[in-house]
Amino acid sequence: MWTAFSATFKRQLVTMRRAYPWSFFIGHILDGVYITIFAFLSYHFIFQGELNERFVSYTGTSDYLSYVIMGGVFNSFTVSLLMIVSRMLITEMREGTLEALLLTPSSRLGYFLGAAVQGLMRSGIEWVTIICIGLFFGLNLVSAHLALLIPILAAFCFAIFAQALVLGSFMLAFRDTYITQNTLFVVMMLVSGVSFPPEFLPQWMQCLSRIMPLYYGLDLMRAVMTKAQLSFAILQNLLLLVALGILYFFIGIIFIKQMEKSVFEKHFG
Amino acid sequence: MLEAKKLVKYYTMKEKSGWFARKKQQIKAVNGLDLTIKRGEIVGLLGVNGAGKTTTIKMLSTLLAPTSGTLSIDGIDALQQPEAIKRRINMIAGGERMLYWRLSARENLMYFGRLYGLRGSALKNQCDELIKKVGLAESADRPVERYSKGMKQRLQIARGLINDPDYLFLDEPTLGLDAPVARQLRGMVKDLAKKKNKGILLTSHYLEEVEELCDHVYIIEKGHLLLHDTPTRIIQTIVKDRILLVVMDRLTQEDWTWLRQELDNRGIHTQKNETDEGTQLDMTAPFDLTAQFIALTHQRNFHLLRLESKKPNLEDAIIRLAEERELL
Ligand SMILES: Nc1ncnc2c1ncn2[C@@H]1O[C@H](COP(=O)(O)OP(=O)(O)OP(=O)(O)O)[C@@H](O)[C@H]1O
Ligand SMILES: [Mg+2]
Repeated sequence: MWTAFSATFKRQLVTMRRAYPWSFFIGHILDGVYITIFAFLSYHFIFQGELNERFVSYTGTSDYLSYVIMGGVFNSFTVSLLMIVSRMLITEMREGTLEALLLTPSSRLGYFLGAAVQGLMRSGIEWVTIICIGLFFGLNLVSAHLALLIPILAAFCFAIFAQALVLGSFMLAFRDTYITQNTLFVVMMLVSGVSFPPEFLPQWMQCLSRIMPLYYGLDLMRAVMTKAQLSFAILQNLLLLVALGILYFFIGIIFIKQMEKSVFEKHFG
Repeated sequence: MLEAKKLVKYYTMKEKSGWFARKKQQIKAVNGLDLTIKRGEIVGLLGVNGAGKTTTIKMLSTLLAPTSGTLSIDGIDALQQPEAIKRRINMIAGGERMLYWRLSARENLMYFGRLYGLRGSALKNQCDELIKKVGLAESADRPVERYSKGMKQRLQIARGLINDPDYLFLDEPTLGLDAPVARQLRGMVKDLAKKKNKGILLTSHYLEEVEELCDHVYIIEKGHLLLHDTPTRIIQTIVKDRILLVVMDRLTQEDWTWLRQELDNRGIHTQKNETDEGTQLDMTAPFDLTAQFIALTHQRNFHLLRLESKKPNLEDAIIRLAEERELL
């Protein structure tokens, strides 16, 4: 597994250096920036600085801009990482390298992890860029509890990675990236509390929030990065996030295995 | 030894019939094929488009699970231990796929080498050696997207050899290559079998290539085995006719009548054409007729300008076979 990991990491690094996917890079940053600007403008010109009381009671904060900018930042980070990992195999298929890859007796998990860790470098750059832009628009980073931030980030990345495995197997099954990924991204943005708390949504839609790692991740990040006091809920959400990650992980591994078996039956050429 | 027994592959396809209704349709791509490859041997797999060659190769290389049948390589069951099999085999397909275009030749080989568990100096040496072997030393550090077709194909060969496989499957490896490049490749394939003792399975639509390289040949049709033999014996059993082509000084009407009668008596079928050079005769018979014809020309002192005995080749055999199957 280690060799597949480091080989794929190096390969992705070389590929990125040689042909940086600028369109994805700029696209992800713009996603985050649009959410920020949209929130900024609507807050100042539509709501004119007035916040709904329910917002405050649901979120426990009256700093709407920080709320939304954090949402934008982590939404685009999630989208970026999901895309990098989930598109791996279908890209191999489209470029005609999937057969050569599947011929090798290598660990698929190592392969995905290599791609993910390399992808984190890319998503990380995007992430920092958006945070910096966000600071100009009123993002308030109150306290960064580093000791908490690191395990949360790790759990978050793991859960997103696991979710990407499931997404990737759906892509292989449908032989499509665009519709599959964007359906997920739209739903994810709507229910995960990116720009408004999901409590505003009808009950059945709130159920969807519970299966989105982004929902838990955002809640945790906001708690440790923009709120002064910590609460016990952090631990609970962290555990839920890890559990969700493990669930996705096993589903993803099983699905990918199944898809690999049948990919050449459904695919000519 | 690689042994495939009663290999079967059915593809299920969903076919649209009406707006929402879908019919399941089964395609029997490979239907009970037995096949063995020994080390040091080049085995040909022939058949018209859609006969099931690629499907067979994909099953042998563990990319496709057979619907039924067994496959073992040097005593290892491929269905139970695919990992162990993957180490011992490799597959090369024609065309420009199976390479990362953004990476250079060296980076490609290093990547695949690592996936096969090679590392350190062993990996580096193996890559250097293969790059030299396929003649890409000068362009080894350029991205593959800037390679010509022939260079990509040579790199593919190097990729196929990165794990030093015992068995190598080649699916139309010379597709779209120039004659000199294709010849070079054939030389390499021969060496791999004869000098490196690898077992090789080859599919190709260039029958001369198959005739030149293969120790024996499987001819399949719609997934069934039609024939399995050496190329020479296939030709002998299928194309019994020998063809003799002769150009001679123009024949008089009288000489032609005589000659024709003599040839007919011997069961030789003849076709006459008058050309600028003289009289041209195309003769066909189910035996080698050169000696008999020369004896006849001596009787009347005909002056021969040219004499050519055409040996039937594998292509003639396959075409004849196809014609016979049509008639059935
Ligand atoms: N993924 C697939 N799904 C459904 N049918 C398939 C699939 N792949 C191949 N077939 C069908 O199976 C049969 C055998 O195909 P195969 O590719 O093995 O032929 P082939 O002998 O390699 O042909 P060619 O000479 O054109 O390469 C064909 O009828 C083909 O249409
Ligand atoms: Mg084929």
